[in-house]
Amino acid sequence: MTRTEWLLSEQPASRRQARLGQAYRTWLALKANRLAMVGLTLVLALIAVALLAPWIAPYDPIVGGDLRTDRLQPPSWEHPMGTDDLARDIFSRVIHGARLTLMVVVLVAVIATPIGLAIGTTAGYFGGWIDTVLMRATDIFLAFPRLILALAFVAALGPGIENAIIAIALTSWPPYARLARAETLTIRDSDFINAARLQGASSLRILWGHVTPLCLSSVVVRVTLDMAGIILTAAGLGFLGLGAQPPQPEWGAMIAGGRRFIIDYWWVATMPGLAIFAVSLGFNLLGDGLRDVLDPKARK
Amino acid sequence: MFIRARLLATAAVAAFALTTAPLSAETPPDTFIQAWAIDDMITLDPAEVFEFTASEIIGNSYETIIGYDVNDVSNIFGRVAESWELSEDGKTMSFTVRQGKKFASGNDLTAEDVVYSLVRAVKLDKSPAFILGQFGLTPDNVDEKIVQTGDHSFTFEMDKAYAPTFLLYCLTATVAAVVDKDLVQSNEVDGDWGYNWLKTNYAGSGPFTIREWRANEAVVMERNDNWDGETPAMARAIYRHIPEAATERLLLEQGDIDIARKLLPEEIEALSQNPDIKIQSGVKGTIFYLGLNQKNENLAKPEVREAMKWLVDYDAIAETLVKGMKKKHQTFLPEGFLGALDENPYSFDPAKAKELLAAAGLPDGFTVTMDTRNTPEVTSIAQAIQQTMAEAGIRIEIIPGDGGQTLEKYRARTHDIYIGQWGPDYQDPHTNATFAQNPDNSDDAASKPLAWRNAWEIPELTAKADAAVLERDTDKRAEMYREMQREVLETSPFVIMFQESEVVAMRKNVEGYIIGPSFNDNSFRAVTK
Repeated sequence: MTRTEWLLSEQPASRRQARLGQAYRTWLALKANRLAMVGLTLVLALIAVALLAPWIAPYDPIVGGDLRTDRLQPPSWEHPMGTDDLARDIFSRVIHGARLTLMVVVLVAVIATPIGLAIGTTAGYFGGWIDTVLMRATDIFLAFPRLILALAFVAALGPGIENAIIAIALTSWPPYARLARAETLTIRDSDFINAARLQGASSLRILWGHVTPLCLSSVVVRVTLDMAGIILTAAGLGFLGLGAQPPQPEWGAMIAGGRRFIIDYWWVATMPGLAIFAVSLGFNLLGDGLRDVLDPKARK
Repeated sequence: MFIRARLLATAAVAAFALTTAPLSAETPPDTFIQAWAIDDMITLDPAEVFEFTASEIIGNSYETIIGYDVNDVSNIFGRVAESWELSEDGKTMSFTVRQGKKFASGNDLTAEDVVYSLVRAVKLDKSPAFILGQFGLTPDNVDEKIVQTGDHSFTFEMDKAYAPTFLLYCLTATVAAVVDKDLVQSNEVDGDWGYNWLKTNYAGSGPFTIREWRANEAVVMERNDNWDGETPAMARAIYRHIPEAATERLLLEQGDIDIARKLLPEEIEALSQNPDIKIQSGVKGTIFYLGLNQKNENLAKPEVREAMKWLVDYDAIAETLVKGMKKKHQTFLPEGFLGALDENPYSFDPAKAKELLAAAGLPDGFTVTMDTRNTPEVTSIAQAIQQTMAEAGIRIEIIPGDGGQTLEKYRARTHDIYIGQWGPDYQDPHTNATFAQNPDNSDDAASKPLAWRNAWEIPELTAKADAAVLERDTDKRAEMYREMQREVLETSPFVIMFQESEVVAMRKNVEGYIIGPSFNDNSFRAVTK
């Protein structure tokens, strides 16, 4: 039996085989979606570039060259994306900026997803006044436009990339909570949940062992789709001077710095803009692809 | 066809709504239109005005008691005053007011109005009142100190025998602009000296009257036919609020405005290639510097202070980032002032700075923060300094904030390094003695000059500054200031870097625009086009 046959077997002999088989089928379905693969490539490229930044970048992202000769140079072989007003190589800055972007995305996902899941599943599972309280709190957060709420948090916490991450995380959990609650409501009265309860499983155990895993796939899809929005919010905060601080090569801040020169030196603002565009597109395509394969209701 | 017509109409309406100006490519021949950022304006009352835009508007619409030649500041002449004479003890100045002057309202301008204006400014006690307060005037005693002695004469009594030019320069400031007593009094409510009315209205005698001020939109001025100088060629002058440099540039290129005044070096360079546009610049008295707080133990070391002066690439920044807008200048008196010293001994020399740091016991440098206003210009200079300082191991962390935040921290002296500007309040060198004067270094001191803000304790230098303002011999006084500048240059916690210029771009046909050393000297009364 080849490995593929073992994975695709209709009668798995063990739990492990079933799980791996299911994952492999998901991967095959995802692989068949060409756009999703483009997205995956872009995201993997972002991760690779972020990890290898010091080795890829030809120049120092923070220390510029000679102000008199290297300033605002157009793209050339020496500087593939040109130089900015402080004679820094934009290519190197964009590459190092990938680290900041990846850091924002990962940290926001790590902070916001568990909060959203915990609140959503708790509200959906217990119902009653717990549901009311938690969902009204969620409503309050949802009532504000995301960037505005993030702006308010950053204004209160003080500018800086760490505070920007906290602010974005605080504003991005409500949709996950809503989603998790909706999923929980559909399964909380299922037979297998009732069976577990009759066997004496505690609420915590049911939530953690049975409800959360079932909510996870749709939340993951939603988080991936939101990544583009998170990147844009971070870039927006940077653009407004409230995210990453100079001289950090954050893409939004770089666009803000290049805005002054947009008429005569288009590349200063355009290059980081293209980077934001590519990465956002990557996350969106990947998110779409994941939704197609992970959403059981949409399966043909 | 129908669709195209509708499109055109929509576009026209949109364009009209956006610019609120007629669609013609040219401005009207008798109207002078300037693009500037007028968001700093809070009042039009000369007793309170202390902002760039408003002081320029006051300069064009009111007359001060004394004036000076914008090309040679040392040439003082009377504007509202005709002549003056100092008493023998040097404490009382007697002024004669010009005869036959009229306000825009038609009222006669007499010594009564002049005395009223000065008394009013002292009694209202707004920010610029300290300029008059320096002569010992307080709201309680001003009635006895400034006294009308005839229809066209009054006396001004000081508490000490100050250098006479010091008083005269202070009377060139906008706080010494003469307001129309009858008009202001008729609008007085509950003894407020007409303060609430004059905030948005006009009661002066200058070449233009202020017709309207729409906050963050426009200021409209009209020719004053009662002015006794040469009648301006322009019937109207309009300031439009256009803070974005790129927008100003496009409007100027299209001919929608006559002059653009918030441009950055890149726009200036691009516009200088345009045959329809010319560039004019004038030196301003504003100084751009770093303030090193002496409460920080590293910055308090004299070697560190000197090392930092060797760690700014003055020339490279002046030639690139702020090209044409600032020039290298390291002494605390700007060019053109009495006693100004033209010496720039410091240049970028990291090797020398490292030696000094090693001598201070910090061979590996140190980390320090810098409060930076988040405007593009200041941020880019701060980053350039951050790079050059790093070459000697001084690691600067930039803390950005808006103008208000950074200033508040600076005034409470809780900063490490402050980067920013200092603009003289009047044209006498004493205004910049703030760099060399610190009578009381305690946290709750009454007077808080720049030396205090950086906790620089200098009893000897303070004594010199106090003596210089009382010296009546001009040459001796100039020498005293030169001596102080040398000392500040060597030992002070101020890394003085640049003196600013104002650069404007205008349509080729505009003639006669004057850029003076301070903002209230900027004048368009002689403009033709």
